Amino acid sequence: MRSETEASPDGEIVRAVLAGDRERYAVLVERYRDRYARYAARMLGSADAAEDAVQDAFVRAYDQLAQCRDPDKFVGWFFLILRNRCFAERRRNRTSAPIEAANAVAAADRADGGAEQSEQRRALQHALLELTPDQREVFVLKHVEGLSYGEIAERLSTSVPSLKMRMHRAYDRLREQLREQT
Amino acid sequence: MSKRDFHPLVKQLLDGDITIADLPAELRSEGEEALRLLAAVDRRPLQLPEVTARVMATIGDPSRRKFWRRVIEPREIRIRVRPWLLAPALAAAAALVLWLGRSGSPAPSSDLSGLVTVRFVLSAPDAHDVGLAGTFNQWDASATPLVRTGAGLWTATITLPAGEHQYAFVVDGERWVPDPAAPAVDDGFGRRNSVLTL
Repeated sequence: MRSETEASPDGEIVRAVLAGDRERYAVLVERYRDRYARYAARMLGSADAAEDAVQDAFVRAYDQLAQCRDPDKFVGWFFLILRNRCFAERRRNRTSAPIEAANAVAAADRADGGAEQSEQRRALQHALLELTPDQREVFVLKHVEGLSYGEIAERLSTSVPSLKMRMHRAYDRLREQLREQT
Repeated sequence: MSKRDFHPLVKQLLDGDITIADLPAELRSEGEEALRLLAAVDRRPLQLPEVTARVMATIGDPSRRKFWRRVIEPREIRIRVRPWLLAPALAAAAALVLWLGRSGSPAPSSDLSGLVTVRFVLSAPDAHDVGLAGTFNQWDASATPLVRTGAGLWTATITLPAGEHQYAFVVDGERWVPDPAAPAVDDGFGRRNSVLTL
């Protein structure tokens, strides 16, 4: 039964949850939890903040599940909720020191990476946090999550040229930030 | 293009459209710098095994559901249109104009089912793009873009439910500007949010 449930399409699970089978929501959480944790961590600069954001986004998605117009596209709808949560979080914490957040992400590096690689990751994560959320997001979706411009445009309901413009500004700003750090 | 900007061909390299071998010799070193930047991208997965149990415990908490029902259930609110909202504040750098759903003179009150159309105006001649972020769009700076209407004015017209809304303009994706034509409150993090009460 468990494997059958886990193989069920998103839409079927969403409809079951809306019909009152709350426990099946756990399947959706398991399915997408880790996939979007990395996006949130790079957007927010800390694994702890990412954990809070992903958890809050799943709770909010459950509360608003009836508003998910196309249950078969649950994950795209969930992504937008998580995205808004990440943007709001960065706005609330924009006065906090990004260096601390970047260090927190890099802290786990030391066990499984060389010191130099760890330092390069820390420097880039620090520079990423200096971008605008829009710039950081397009960089994370393309270079961390590996999506194409076309896929990002579809997910964010925007155009490829505007994404490229945003990304190219991000490249310049990252270069400037990384040079200032060295 | 400042001297600190990557050359457009190097940006194509970063985008994966060309390889470093396609760059002219004078751009190779800049291309290598760009590739070092990409090599530092952290793509390791992050696992959050605790989240499932926490989410399921939260959504199954009966006291929480009661709280949300209190918050979500519609309540009748009688509102009064404030005269200052109707006064043209165009002398200020930013202005807010209220359009009532019904034409003619302003209705003295409305209930919750009466939505109000609001036009937000910002004078920002040097801006490349302007967004409106607020409690009504989860502070998503890209959700409600303003349109340039000439003479450096940017506008957005949206419909909002009665109640209090907090907002700010976001210029070029990074500068958060409160509306000087509206009252403001501290957001608790050292910045000011504009307040609109409908």
